[in-house]
Amino acid sequence: MITLSNIEKVYQTKTIETVALQNVNLHIPKGEFVSVMGPSGCGKSTLLNIMGLLDEPTSGLVEIDGTPISKYKDKELAHIRNQKLGFVFQSYHLINDLSVLDNVELPLLYRRGASAAETRKLAMTALEKVGLSARTKHFPAQLSGGQRQRVAIARALIGQPEVILADEPTGNLDSVMGEEIMNILLHLNQQDGTTIVMVTHDENMAHKTERLIRFFDGQQVSDARTAAFNFQQV
Amino acid sequence: MIRHLFKLIWNRKKSNFLLITEIFFCFLVLFGVLSFIVYNVRNYTKPLGFEHDNVWLLTMRPSTDSSALNHQNLEQVLQLVRTFPEVQQASLTSSNAPFAFSQMNNNLSYGNVKDVMADFYEVEDDFKEVMQLQVREGRWFGMQDNASHHAPIVINKALKQQLFGEEDALGKLIPVNDSTNYQVVGITEHFRAGSEFAADEPAFFTRLNLPRSPNSFWSEVLIRVKPGTGIAFEEKMVKQVAGIGKGWALEVTTLEKMRQNKAKLTMIPMIALGLVCAFLILNVALGLFGVLWYNINSRHGEIGLRRALGAASGQIYRQFIGEVLVLATFGLLLGVMFAVQLPLLQVFDVESIVYTVAILGAVVVIYLLTIVCAFYPSRQAAAIHPAIALHED
Repeated sequence: MITLSNIEKVYQTKTIETVALQNVNLHIPKGEFVSVMGPSGCGKSTLLNIMGLLDEPTSGLVEIDGTPISKYKDKELAHIRNQKLGFVFQSYHLINDLSVLDNVELPLLYRRGASAAETRKLAMTALEKVGLSARTKHFPAQLSGGQRQRVAIARALIGQPEVILADEPTGNLDSVMGEEIMNILLHLNQQDGTTIVMVTHDENMAHKTERLIRFFDGQQVSDARTAAFNFQQV
Repeated sequence: MIRHLFKLIWNRKKSNFLLITEIFFCFLVLFGVLSFIVYNVRNYTKPLGFEHDNVWLLTMRPSTDSSALNHQNLEQVLQLVRTFPEVQQASLTSSNAPFAFSQMNNNLSYGNVKDVMADFYEVEDDFKEVMQLQVREGRWFGMQDNASHHAPIVINKALKQQLFGEEDALGKLIPVNDSTNYQVVGITEHFRAGSEFAADEPAFFTRLNLPRSPNSFWSEVLIRVKPGTGIAFEEKMVKQVAGIGKGWALEVTTLEKMRQNKAKLTMIPMIALGLVCAFLILNVALGLFGVLWYNINSRHGEIGLRRALGAASGQIYRQFIGEVLVLATFGLLLGVMFAVQLPLLQVFDVESIVYTVAILGAVVVIYLLTIVCAFYPSRQAAAIHPAIALHED
């Protein structure tokens, strides 16, 4: 599904050169739920941005479904993001002036051939999956943090992506709400077979996923199956 | 996408209120100035109805109060002027000669049509040749009018339309008082003597018969000279006229000079208004640019999000341009609602086409203005790196 080979990312200013990622080699197969952990500034979000085609590596190869993305132009990358990837952010990134339903519909705005009625139906289905079908007309400011993140997940789901990239999706939530969100993600992975890559600081959450990759100072220091995976295998 | 943009702007109507108001007022000012300009330009393109090139105006101010003497001298002056080889035709005229700062008007009524205000000009038979008027129906004044029971008049098409409509006007009698009637003997196409920017208003000519008015004096003579006649002839003519009218104050000017002076009266306010309007538009443009720049800079997170969800940079660019156009549309809708009241209520008695052109012109200018103002901030928005935009929020 997603393969990273010898990825290096260096942020360069006139005076400072910061290595965000170094020699990263990863393969995320279809249907896997992977968590990425590490201290702040270790390059987790950079990794997610590169996987999500939002950023380019300084060197190395990124492949989606076996095709190197370096050959794609901006328009084609946008198309891949729209068709194959869904994003969930720590700070939700909802548009406050749009209703819940309109926020969820956003990805299909950039997809050709999606009729208004079809878009609405898909948005309603996505909201039902996250248990928010009663809040369609609400605005983000009228929702709790957990509800906002559920809206963000519904928005990620509407385009039926193969991969969801979640950047600390429970980071701004209390443990109960965090648990709720985690359950939704697990459900998506197990029932729908959606591949999920989740950046988290929470060991408990990470251990609920199948695979845990740890980063330190821009380098991948471990990549292992979790107990949850072993439990599933058993 | 259009529905989405309208929804977005509508939901942000509170924060966009000032911008919409600014566009609304800018439209109103632009509409007013454009109406004024369109009105004048339309008039300018219409024919004057006469030829003013090579026509001079001789103005005489007698030094004595003796009407009989002045009249006698006037006859001699006219005789003299007509004998110069440089002069093709000459005609006495009332003081409201073409492009003069003088106006004479009268109310005319015919049948059920009451009190049509019309400019009137007292002129001699040679006036037609001097001004090269075109008579479209009937005839100009002539010797046969000496025997007429009624005062002959020649009217212009505008007066004919207002007084008689589609009815034939020739030979019709228009009561002046209990003992006098005007009789229409001819109709000219146009006669816009006020200025090139004046509207084609109703006007009529009455016949000035110098021999039959022994104690009257007219101080203005219109003279058509041969092309190329210059200042040397002017000096010669003034010198010889001064020999007849002892002590008279004489002044010669050309209709071309008078036309230029009259044109300034319209051109100066038009240019001044245009400059004020341009200054206003510049201010609005700077304001718009600033607000759009600020708005876009405060929406980096949203831009990053849209990029993440699948928007290409071109789509971000078009979205911001689209948003500004939608904003402008809200302001313009309000403005057009006000502006259309003018033709509907027939304010200022101006043709509807003037308002229509002004509305369309103002709409186009406002849309262009907003696009120009949105161009750079939108391009900047489209160039924002999605990862950086998401990180900034």
